[in-house]
Amino acid sequence: MKIQLQQCYFDFEQGFQLQDINWQIETGQHWVITGANGSGKSALVATLAGFGEKIAGSSEGIVEAVALVSFEAQAALIERERKKDDADILDVIAVGTTVHQILAEGDVNASVVKDLVEKFALNYLLDRPFRALSTGETRKVLLIKALASEPQLLLLDEPFDGLDADTLTMLQQYLVKLSHKISIVMVLNRCDEIPDFVTHLGYMREATLAHCVARSDEIAYRELQQLLHLKTSDLQIPPTADSSAKSLLDPDQPLVLLSDICVKYDQLKVLQDFNWRIDAGQHWQLCGPNGSGKTAILSLITGDHPQCYSNDIFVFGFNRGNGESIWQIKQFIGYVSTALQWEYRVGTSLRNVIVSGFYDSIGLYSKATDKQRNIADQWLALLGMQGRADQSFNKLSFGDQRLLLIARAMVKHPPLLILDEPCLGLDDINRQLVLALIEKICAAGLSTVLYVNHHSEDTIAGIENYKNIQKHSSNVD
Amino acid sequence: MSNNYFNTLALRDQLEQLGKCRFMHLNEFTEGVDALKGKKIVVIGCGAQGLNQGLNLRDSGLDVSYTLRQAAIDEKRQSWKNASENGFTVGTYQELIPTADVVLNLTPDKQHTAVVTEIMPMMKKDACLSYSHGFNVVEEGMQIRQDLTVIMVAPKCPGSEVRAEYVRGFGVPTLIAVHEDNDPQGQGLALAKAYAVGTGGHKAGVLMSSFIAEVKSDLMGEQTILCGMLQTGSILCFDKMVEKGIDVGYASKLVQYGWEVVTEALKYGGVTNMLDRLSNPDKIKAFDLAEELKDIMRPLYNKHQDDIMDGTFSSGMMADWAEDDVKLLGWRAETAETAFERTPAGEMEISEQEFFDHGILMVAMVKAGVELAFETMTAAGIIADSAYYESLHETPLIANTIARKKLYEMNATISDTAEYGCYLYNHACLPLLQDFMKNIDTDVIGKGTVNDDNGVDNARLIEVNTALRTHPVERIGGILRGHMSDMKAII
Ligand SMILES: NC(=O)c1ccc[n+]([C@@H]2O[C@H](COP(=O)([O-])OP(=O)(O)OC[C@H]3O[C@@H](n4cnc5c(N)ncnc54)[C@H](OP(=O)(O)O)[C@@H]3O)[C@@H](O)[C@H]2O)c1
Repeated sequence: MKIQLQQCYFDFEQGFQLQDINWQIETGQHWVITGANGSGKSALVATLAGFGEKIAGSSEGIVEAVALVSFEAQAALIERERKKDDADILDVIAVGTTVHQILAEGDVNASVVKDLVEKFALNYLLDRPFRALSTGETRKVLLIKALASEPQLLLLDEPFDGLDADTLTMLQQYLVKLSHKISIVMVLNRCDEIPDFVTHLGYMREATLAHCVARSDEIAYRELQQLLHLKTSDLQIPPTADSSAKSLLDPDQPLVLLSDICVKYDQLKVLQDFNWRIDAGQHWQLCGPNGSGKTAILSLITGDHPQCYSNDIFVFGFNRGNGESIWQIKQFIGYVSTALQWEYRVGTSLRNVIVSGFYDSIGLYSKATDKQRNIADQWLALLGMQGRADQSFNKLSFGDQRLLLIARAMVKHPPLLILDEPCLGLDDINRQLVLALIEKICAAGLSTVLYVNHHSEDTIAGIENYKNIQKHSSNVD
Repeated sequence: MSNNYFNTLALRDQLEQLGKCRFMHLNEFTEGVDALKGKKIVVIGCGAQGLNQGLNLRDSGLDVSYTLRQAAIDEKRQSWKNASENGFTVGTYQELIPTADVVLNLTPDKQHTAVVTEIMPMMKKDACLSYSHGFNVVEEGMQIRQDLTVIMVAPKCPGSEVRAEYVRGFGVPTLIAVHEDNDPQGQGLALAKAYAVGTGGHKAGVLMSSFIAEVKSDLMGEQTILCGMLQTGSILCFDKMVEKGIDVGYASKLVQYGWEVVTEALKYGGVTNMLDRLSNPDKIKAFDLAEELKDIMRPLYNKHQDDIMDGTFSSGMMADWAEDDVKLLGWRAETAETAFERTPAGEMEISEQEFFDHGILMVAMVKAGVELAFETMTAAGIIADSAYYESLHETPLIANTIARKKLYEMNATISDTAEYGCYLYNHACLPLLQDFMKNIDTDVIGKGTVNDDNGVDNARLIEVNTALRTHPVERIGGILRGHMSDMKAII
């Protein structure tokens, strides 16, 4: 068996369309398809059972003997039975089709049915009308029908949803056995449910199959799991230790006020007469081509630019250059950039990297409090990195490092969170991971977010102010 | 020319000054930069130390500006660019010195007499004059106006590190001192402490010492193990490998990056840890080589220390200054022409462990140099803490510069004084090691031992391990690294 979809487009009801699907399933492979709600994962799997109207692309090797168990298939069967009853014009109270009759319908192996009815402990239900069953029970009936039809390809959409623990274990064991004979494709929402026999993972995003990862590719597989974790679980941003620096700020003053800023190096003017006011609660996106001075603006705000002392800069209640130290400024800021990541070449533990955010240091030079360590561990759990607290930061993948630095920046709930091209240098999956995390942070509303990007298509939900700067290099005469 | 200050002191005072050294605790710095708050700090010179210290002090909330000699301003030299592009006020001596509460003299040591003589009359009454190295006061006997407070804050690192560590939220180990002849209001210590806080030094550890102890130990360290030994070792190891037919690109790479890799191990666990990176048979080999090297080089180390103590070294160098650095410049040119310097490192990969396994001789040279320098300094009355910083602690920092751009980079980064002393050492050490090198083969430099058998004699191994672990530099190192790692997780 080999199924191959190439550049396929499928139309579904209500204008939903699967787009540019490229997918290949071979004998011996078992897939899990995941993705956020509405990403089209159920639709994708249903196409293998003939659902959806293919409007473009080529598909080869579609198997005839397919069985699909899904919420939609379950609803369809219930609907069919309901209609039957309604259509019944006899004067007696309709009993409807019994479970026994439903299970005997079509081309099924009776001994498999018998075996499974026992395994699912459904004996006592056989004579009941199908319509009288609970959702969980109809789901079991559907599973039995599907398994007993002895398909070559079994499609299971959220098969474990709503099953009691015993049944779940039984079903999982059954699938393991079955996996030696046929291919199984499942839709699953939770990554901790992925059975061991699954060989491949597919990730749906916005109606397309964005990533296919073989389980043997450990790094990619783990990244995908992390993404699922961030996308699909209901996560809370961890609390911060003691009081956030926010309490030191006067709410009536802007966070940042840059007035008539000029920056020049040697003979080159990088910024001229630049003005910007950022108020608390205003999320901003700063856009501009390379060399337009984005980084200079940011480092004037953070105090890392030496010319911040020769410009008119008001930040967090300080007019710069009046005896304040940069640590007094930095306590209000969380900061992530590629440059920071290059700087952060230390062999310290993941936990310490997050804790270092409380001290605005690269590396940790103070003893962490228990509370800080605890918060760091909560962040690791949020990132799907629990249990890795003592691993060494410089051994992490580039994408994981970026996630960790974002957590480091957020750990103190800074009044201003600056994300300078946070997706730069990341592959798509890691970009998705970072964006998912940023959206969570924006939604939590704890910090004013300043997001910098040189192309404006990477937008983030929740950001509604845009500042575009043009390249302005000119020579000073 | 003035007198050597050290030589004017009575023996008992000399010993007292040399023995002055105390590791300060973090809680001695709770007043932060307060003693300097609102004071006008004017830095003379904007080079490696001047620029980077100034950036840190300003970022700590202090008022910093720069004064440069007229020519540097008129010609918009690099020092002028350094200061003005970083948004500092720059002015002439006349403009800024009279306004200064604290003047930081961060010009090259050989200019100190001229510079201090010129600016001293312009300084405010009761102001403070600070140095980052005590050469001028100790070796040249500079006499400073009696109302002025004279202090020293000497970061034990190149200027670039001073800045980089501060930006990370840390600092570099720093030595502070007050010139007791010039502390009329007794404020010297408070000012020096605040200055150390302003540069971030307090986070990494501050040694409270004396001008004399700083000069005599700093000179000794830089001439011998830090720069001299690395230069001599580079040339000898490279030439030996080439003589034995090892690929020149490989030889060049092994030496250029090898110092950095093997001395990195020092930071974590001293000489012991560096040798522990070798297999047992190789460790014993390195130990034996180092013992041999120490026997051969001990008289040279003693001579350097003696010349530093009695002023022979500084008067020799000052004579060269008087001759427009003819010796220094000649040696510098000679270094640029060495085969090691002229052979680019090859493209091959060398793993971290391979640098140890193929560089047993380099490990032995570092061990011998560190221990000899430490032993010689402490025998001369310098306190162990200070001797540790001037030998073992700084070795990896200097090794980094060789990794960047070989000997050229090292000699460009260190002060002229260090460079002069380094060449002096190199000239004496190369011939001294000639016979020793005759017996050296590629098993200890270039190829590594080809032992299938990792067996060693138990008794001998225990002997070697004990000797390593009980060396005095390891004892003090354990304590000082402990202090640092309390605060510093990453080293
Ligand atoms: N480098 C180190 O690792 C290190 C470590 C600790 C302490 N120190 C000490 O720090 C001090 C400064 O050393 P450095 O390495 O920073 O020196 P440097 O990089 O050579 O800088 C010296 C600065 O002084 C200026 N200068 C040179 N000659 C001058 C003169 N005659 N009059 C006025 N200004 C002059 C130079 O600018 P122009 O030539 O443009 O005028 C330059 O800006 C020394 O006392 C040194 O011992 C150095």
